[in-house]
Amino acid sequence: MNVNKKLSSFEMFSMTLILIGMKLSDTTPSLFAQKSQNALWYIPFLAFLIVLPSFFVIMYLLEKVQAKHLVNLFELLLGKLLGKGLAFFIFLLSFLMISLDSRNYVEQIKTLYFERSSSLIIFVLFCVVCVFGAIRGIEVIGYTSKVLIPFLTASLVLVIFLVYEHMIWERIYPIFGSGLQFVLKESLFKGSIFADFILLTMAYSSFKKPSDFKIGGLIALFIAVLEITFLFLIYATVFDYNSIEKVSFPFHEITQYVQLGDFFTNIETFFMVFWLLATFLRFILLLYLQTWLFGAIFNIDEFELLVLPLGFLSMVIGLIPDNSVVTELVYRNQLLDLLTPVLIVLPFLLLAIYTLRRKQVT
Amino acid sequence: MAKFCWLVIGLMPILFGCEDMVELEKQSYVVAVGIDKTDQDGTYQFTYQIANPEAGSSLAANNADQAPSEIISIVGTDLMTTSSTANAFVTKQMVMDQTRVLIISEELARTDQFLRVIQSVARSNQIRRGVKLVISKENASQFMNNNDPALEQRPHKYYQYMLSRARETGLIPDADIHRFFQITEGDADLFLGIYATTIEDPKDVSGPEDTIVAGEIPKHGGNSTQFMGAAVFKEGIMIDVLTAEETRIANILDKTMKMDELLASYPDPVAPEYNVAVKYIQKNEPKIEINYDRVANHAAIQVIIPFEAEIIAIPSLINYSQVDSYKERLKKSIESYAEHVTRQFIKKTQEFYRAEPFYWSLYIRKFFKDIPDFEEADWNKQIYPNADITVYYQMKRMHFGKMLDDTHLNEVRD
Amino acid sequence: MRKKKAQTQQKQTLSSDFVNNLDQLKNCFSYGVNNDFSIRLLQAKYNNKELALCYYASLVNSDKIEQSLISPLLEQEGASIFAIITAESVKKITLLEEVIENITSGKVVLLMQDEKVAFSIDVSNFQHRAVSQSEIESVVRGPKEAFTESIHVNISLIRKQVRNSQLITEVLKVGERSQQDIQLVYNKQIVNQELLDDIRQRINKIKVDNVPNLESLEQYIEERPYSIFPTIFYTERPDNASTYIDRGHVVLLMESSASCLILPVTFWTFFHNPEDRYARVAFGNFSRLIRYIALFFTLMISAIYVALANFHSEMIPPDLLLAITAARERVPFPLILEVIIMEVAFELIREAGIRIPSPLGPTIGIVGALILGQAAVEANIISPIIVIVSALSGLTSFAISDPSFNFTVRISRFIFIIAAGVFGMFSLMSALILWLMYVVSLKSFGVPYLAPLSPTFKSNRDVYFRRALKKERWRPAYLLPKDLQNMNKNK
Repeated sequence: MNVNKKLSSFEMFSMTLILIGMKLSDTTPSLFAQKSQNALWYIPFLAFLIVLPSFFVIMYLLEKVQAKHLVNLFELLLGKLLGKGLAFFIFLLSFLMISLDSRNYVEQIKTLYFERSSSLIIFVLFCVVCVFGAIRGIEVIGYTSKVLIPFLTASLVLVIFLVYEHMIWERIYPIFGSGLQFVLKESLFKGSIFADFILLTMAYSSFKKPSDFKIGGLIALFIAVLEITFLFLIYATVFDYNSIEKVSFPFHEITQYVQLGDFFTNIETFFMVFWLLATFLRFILLLYLQTWLFGAIFNIDEFELLVLPLGFLSMVIGLIPDNSVVTELVYRNQLLDLLTPVLIVLPFLLLAIYTLRRKQVT
Repeated sequence: MAKFCWLVIGLMPILFGCEDMVELEKQSYVVAVGIDKTDQDGTYQFTYQIANPEAGSSLAANNADQAPSEIISIVGTDLMTTSSTANAFVTKQMVMDQTRVLIISEELARTDQFLRVIQSVARSNQIRRGVKLVISKENASQFMNNNDPALEQRPHKYYQYMLSRARETGLIPDADIHRFFQITEGDADLFLGIYATTIEDPKDVSGPEDTIVAGEIPKHGGNSTQFMGAAVFKEGIMIDVLTAEETRIANILDKTMKMDELLASYPDPVAPEYNVAVKYIQKNEPKIEINYDRVANHAAIQVIIPFEAEIIAIPSLINYSQVDSYKERLKKSIESYAEHVTRQFIKKTQEFYRAEPFYWSLYIRKFFKDIPDFEEADWNKQIYPNADITVYYQMKRMHFGKMLDDTHLNEVRD
Repeated sequence: MRKKKAQTQQKQTLSSDFVNNLDQLKNCFSYGVNNDFSIRLLQAKYNNKELALCYYASLVNSDKIEQSLISPLLEQEGASIFAIITAESVKKITLLEEVIENITSGKVVLLMQDEKVAFSIDVSNFQHRAVSQSEIESVVRGPKEAFTESIHVNISLIRKQVRNSQLITEVLKVGERSQQDIQLVYNKQIVNQELLDDIRQRINKIKVDNVPNLESLEQYIEERPYSIFPTIFYTERPDNASTYIDRGHVVLLMESSASCLILPVTFWTFFHNPEDRYARVAFGNFSRLIRYIALFFTLMISAIYVALANFHSEMIPPDLLLAITAARERVPFPLILEVIIMEVAFELIREAGIRIPSPLGPTIGIVGALILGQAAVEANIISPIIVIVSALSGLTSFAISDPSFNFTVRISRFIFIIAAGVFGMFSLMSALILWLMYVVSLKSFGVPYLAPLSPTFKSNRDVYFRRALKKERWRPAYLLPKDLQNMNKNK
């Protein structure tokens, strides 16, 4: 029987929420706090406003050009060679980003829960899971996200509920943190924390209707930004401006700090369960999209076979930086700063080419 | 899938025996950690109280003989390495995930060494941010060894109940490592640690019973350990001890301290030789309004504290519940007494500490646009010591409990 | 070689030579050696011709032969044989192959002198159990009858609940040597044509000598024989069958199987219980909630215990932690081994409990659970906490009523326990997510396993919890039914 197995808007919503929303639990907040101190909480919001037009432009173009996915869009607008070249550039940047990102997560798992194990073993297990998950294809990833998203949300709500009593709202003052100019500069350059969304356009053709992609993606983006903003606000108000700089994983610090009554005092492992599930899903999705991007560039139809080598490669790259947190903050910071201008300028460039070409044709 | 399943199952034995796998019985659970000063800077004496799982377990045949815990002291540079040195005579690996309290001797807390050692403690993954900070008058090791509760055999239960109850009654502040770092790193307020001792030095109390600190309670029987009062930390160094009454005032004035109700006695306005026992109930947070003059860098602080009171005992047997004028007098008297004590305490902080333990720096923050601006104004050193502070207590309601009236002494003696 | 012979035999028609036909049959059925095979020769009164009645004596109702065949043929006058025989069903057959098949399926074949055709008269009387109470899937509220080993009884049990002229019972043959009938039961106005074609195709593809019953049929037509998840619902309840037929599923029935197969199905089919629908909304959902808890416990509690105790001891509250530690101090085995020992012991007791002769059954439970557990604890072989944990995980598994799904859960439990022993929660969650993704990727006859939860389809949203019956207006869209809306037209 041929049941329509394409994805719908809810799956898009879940995938985007997991992909973007997970930023609240990694080192991103402490990255922001380095420069802006307690003003870190509204940076994601400002950064989002800066990159939002780019997302609109990309979605508009995909619909107008009737492209199958991102690489296809580049090819249609820029010609085959240039398009593929650009796509390859994006692939390299995002692949590097994801490799570093996965290292970041592995380090979190290691430092917080498995202090004595070597990160290599954790990384291997992590990659095995990602590879086996990614092989199942985009539909399964989407469906699984949809199954899990209520539980993930519930656990987040529980964290917020438990930490609420420790929040001291006055700590958001002074409102501009370390100074308005630093905050604005940081917002301008960190738009790339949402860059993963661009990768999702690879899955554009696996949705029932293009509007599913658009509606699900946009709603999820807004909710993710609100979620991130709110959680960052919690970090700023639970830790003060001086402590927030020193905490590398504020989400985990918070789950360690909260307690459920007097009996359950150490409940971070409970939240870690949901965090891990979301982390796995996020990297499974990222790995799959990466492989798809790669496959599309080199016209490989059965790109699922490449999941294993690419997963392995990303692990190797992730293992290169020798020290975890500090180097990671440096590398990732630079990469994010580098990626943002690309993210902001490129869509408008494409739009310009599109309008020019249309005029030529008509 | 089948192949995959077999692959995973096949992989498992290889990964088995991963280094983080520890059997429960191969760990010792440290319930409390004490830190003392030694003659040498950078070296400290660490005391670990290890819970004995056999005590209180129904499985142990000779249950009564089992000591509930073992206390060991060892000299070292930091908490974690010292705990591994301790394995020379402790059979198992010591874990500090279940640690509830960190006991610091007053001697150590009064030096600049304290901040160093507690930094290294906080860095460790096992010590949580929720661990309570207790300052003992004597050496921490002495404190832990003297502490011998008769009822709560298991030490973690003892600390849990003891601290939470003392906290509820407002005798001690809420002091965990998380708060310590926030306030110390924020460098704008004073941190209050829990003050405790096992050395009894009863003080003759005249007047309200809580102008004393730990150790001074005139009592007989019970555990010699007393938790009462607060240790005042300025910039990470202990500078003074607050009495129980002052601690209560600090708890009332600080909105981040959760305090619902406390029992206290106030002078009886009609019969001054007696006290009136009052349950002080705080339903709303104190209102703290700051008028800040940017040019002069001067602040005027108005504190309004709404509260409710339930009269528990009237030893003078004056009929407060029925006679309105008495009632009004009692109300005024409680308010003015509270205001008087509070003002005195605030004055002490302004003049003597030149900083406040109420976390009031929160309220001044909104007058500054960014952190450099705020830090330059220097709440701690410039604004607070010179601020004009007015305190008003407002009793919103007075309850008289379940008895309408007391027995009339005259009638009884008739 | 044999196959070839059979094929030549198939084409053979009956000749007009009565004796020759009879000889061929005698040869075929080894007449004389095969004691069961009977031939009754007689002369019909209406045309004075020789007749032979061939049948298996064990399969037919002899009274009926006597009343509706022999006595009319000997006594009645009439124009044709159809006017004389009083049996309900008389069929003309021409091929020898058909003759053989009819005899083996319990019919009487009537051969007549000078006739090229034979007549098959249905007087079959297969022995079967009477309709009895459903034992595996028992309910407190709702019909209690179960299928029995007779296909006719089973169909009548279904038809009793689905009074619809569009309810089709279609026959498919399976088996090369022993041909068996498979009855496809479905509602023609609802069921998806592609689905039917797919099922027919899969059944026709089976090329084996004999498919004795539904239980083996299930294994021939399912997609992934090695998977730990069942993709076809095996039930002994006629009310289940009729409910699913109404939704647009197809039911398979076979002679000598006291149950039916329902397909395609989803995860929810196995988890839901017919009683959820018979009980009122709140009651049904409450029992579902309890079953979710049971599912969680039986799958996870041992694994979580291993993960927490071996890797995340900080999460266990101190009193409990000290209690477990004290208990474990005398135990010789590592904790994971202890858990596996107890879990295996529980499975052993369970397996033995099924195989053991029924009078001994209850005893073994008590012996196993109490005495063994108690003795093991006293001998310090295992700690009492483990007994509690594994008893909990074992007992809660009984709340998963479907036997196939029960196996899934029990096998998965072991996977999770081992996974938890590797890297605590980290590896447990790795296993869980891969397990979950595997479940999501499964399909039963093209229907995603977790539909309609994910992917979403129009349906009654009877997923985690069900809604009021009045609000159920849709057939599940994942079955692509011909008629989506009609289950309930009230607003």
